[in-house]
Amino acid sequence: MVTHDSGENQPERPRGSFLSRYVFSTDHKTIGLLYLWLALFSVFLGMAMSLVMRIHLVWPGAHIPFLSGLGSSAEHYATLPLLHGSLMIFFVLTAAPQAGFGNYFLPLQIGAREMAFPKLNLFSFWPTVISLIGMVAAFLVAPQTGLSLWIISVSVFCAAALCSALNFVVTTIDLRAHGMTLPRLPLTAWAWFLNAILGMLIFSILLAACLCLLADRFFATHFFSTGDFLASQPANVAADALPVLWQRLFWFFAQAEVYIAMLPCFGIVSHLIATFSRRPVWKERLVVLALCGVGLVGFCVWGQHMFSSGLNPFSPLVFSVLAASIGLPATILLLSWFATLWNAGVQLNTSLLFALGFVSLFLSGGLSGLFLSRHDFTSTAVNEDFVTGHFHLVMGVAATFAILGAVFFWFPKLFGRYLNERFGKLHFWLTFAGVYCVFMPMHWLGLVSHAGRIPGANLASIAAWIGPARSFITAGILVTVLAQGIFLFNFLWSLFRGERVAECNPWRATTLEWSVPSPPPPDDFGACEPVIYRGAYEFGVPGAVDDFIPQHIAPDRVVRPN
Amino acid sequence: MPGTIAPPEIELIIDDSRGGGGGKPPDGGDDDGGGDRGRHRPNGPPSPRRFSTAIAIAMVSILMFFMALASAFLVLHHGSKVWVAVRLPWILWVNTAVLLGSSFTLERARLRLSLGDVLGFRRLWFVTTVMGFLFVAGQLVAWRQLVGEGVYIASNQASSFFYIFTGAHGVHLLGGVAALLFVLLRNFQKSQIPVSLAAEITSYYWHFMDGLWIFLFALLYLGK
Repeated sequence: MVTHDSGENQPERPRGSFLSRYVFSTDHKTIGLLYLWLALFSVFLGMAMSLVMRIHLVWPGAHIPFLSGLGSSAEHYATLPLLHGSLMIFFVLTAAPQAGFGNYFLPLQIGAREMAFPKLNLFSFWPTVISLIGMVAAFLVAPQTGLSLWIISVSVFCAAALCSALNFVVTTIDLRAHGMTLPRLPLTAWAWFLNAILGMLIFSILLAACLCLLADRFFATHFFSTGDFLASQPANVAADALPVLWQRLFWFFAQAEVYIAMLPCFGIVSHLIATFSRRPVWKERLVVLALCGVGLVGFCVWGQHMFSSGLNPFSPLVFSVLAASIGLPATILLLSWFATLWNAGVQLNTSLLFALGFVSLFLSGGLSGLFLSRHDFTSTAVNEDFVTGHFHLVMGVAATFAILGAVFFWFPKLFGRYLNERFGKLHFWLTFAGVYCVFMPMHWLGLVSHAGRIPGANLASIAAWIGPARSFITAGILVTVLAQGIFLFNFLWSLFRGERVAECNPWRATTLEWSVPSPPPPDDFGACEPVIYRGAYEFGVPGAVDDFIPQHIAPDRVVRPN
Repeated sequence: MPGTIAPPEIELIIDDSRGGGGGKPPDGGDDDGGGDRGRHRPNGPPSPRRFSTAIAIAMVSILMFFMALASAFLVLHHGSKVWVAVRLPWILWVNTAVLLGSSFTLERARLRLSLGDVLGFRRLWFVTTVMGFLFVAGQLVAWRQLVGEGVYIASNQASSFFYIFTGAHGVHLLGGVAALLFVLLRNFQKSQIPVSLAAEITSYYWHFMDGLWIFLFALLYLGK
């Protein structure tokens, strides 16, 4: 039997053509990177769309080179939010933190050499690309064809996401290295694992709903359409009741999808905060339970989206309580982050800054969510600007901050070079200020647009402020998008010219991916099987010379002062 | 005939793959395992346990898919006062019996395999596969009967659900038939996993498809 006897061998370089090394590679690192590149492409495309939307909202006649054609006609303008949302939700917030970083780092962190089913992994990635192409193409063809194409693309994405989630769950259950017990899993791995379980459950629901919708469109079935259902309803209900089934199925998916985007980010942020404050995660077990809680509650709160569209009169109260109960695990997470940071000698680099930015955005976005979980408030007092501001802060932007923090943290491992810290900090502060300037005024816009219902309100003076507020938001978006140019420059420049990483573990982190060279060799751990001896966050251990002990260091090899 | 010497080989293969692959179950968590640091291991495929785990997780996901459809069925059924039920074709009872019978023969086949009777295993496995095909064919006949009565997928909500349920279940079941064929035709001498494990995993999925059909059939029957 052939074994790798000589550990000193040259690391094997992948051979073969471009196709076999990148396009058809089943290596988890290659696929993870491909997902990250896909997310990078989609995020800039999606940002361009938001730019077009907001600019045309303020200056309808403005001409933007290359982009105006997209938003010029009324139909196209109306589909812009759909495309913006689908790109950002599916290909950035779902793909980057879970499939991108997860595929790359989950096997490295748990000491596996591969995902459980490498070929299935390949067959999750390329359908995702096809689904991206389909969604973008749907935007360019005629509206009815485009809508069908879009639904088909979403179905393809669901199938791919299911395969990917299956791979994650099985990898975490069966491929952990010797000694990597569940309590020793890093919180990132925990988050990827729980998230994959949640994904297995909800993407199959969206897939079922999409299939019914496609059957309605192609075979003239009556799942969501008119027919005898309407005939049986009282006339005043009929108009509202029609899409309710679709709304239920969709929001069952979509509310949980929020947590699909957020769960890995929670894991990443806990990981970053512990690593850079050189402290163990405060109440690590409780944090794991809180992550489970987020997944569980996320599965149950779909009804809160139905407050304004007809439900059993008692169910809003139930969903209201459930939606507010998401606050409990969220509070535990926040407490843990603050307690970990408390009195710690933090290393305030860009990665930690983004993690702290995530905490700030999550907190402020979450607070406006408290208003939205009240069913009486939601159905009467708020229009969509408030909701837009809320979910962009708490889900879109916060998750993006966690992704950026992860990029700055893992870039040395991915490419063997550092991202530039100076550009990184400039990028952080501009983005941080920018997103608050964009989304906070949106909350205000959402509230004042209903001021007309308040007797005695001075409508004229309020209306006079709405236009300038819109312009301010658009200006904020321009600044924020331009700041992303700094990131793109930093990313590409550092890829080729950045400062090289000299050691395996530049951040002095404890998890297993930092025990291998940067970038990792094709077979990850070389000839030796990694063995795990301790928990994932052993920082500041008394009696050790270093302030941290990596997970793979055996007790008898810990360097202690004499 | 590959049969008679297979069981000892199977044992060997199990030993080999369990011992060589990654994915060992992590041990209790004591901190003193210094002796096995840096053990060599061949770069073989990870433990075949992953296949059993995968099929269990996939079944949960598939169940979720059908539960979404079933809840849509219940919601629309109760919301509608003019529900025109589909008169279920009689051949569905035959199909159900065939599917239940196939689960029985499949278990008999696995019993033969565990006793070392590979020929008997292959014979019963073949019968199971044929019954799987018969079930699919029977479902198509049911469709034709309905079409003959003028009940199409677009006729009303109940008929839409009938075609969607049977169609989606049929597609999933064809996956099971593919797995049956795989076990029947694959040369397990060169395979990563032993034939007994492949048969076991296929049996989980097949019984699951069986139970799922009973559930859907009951739903359609009671939801008249």
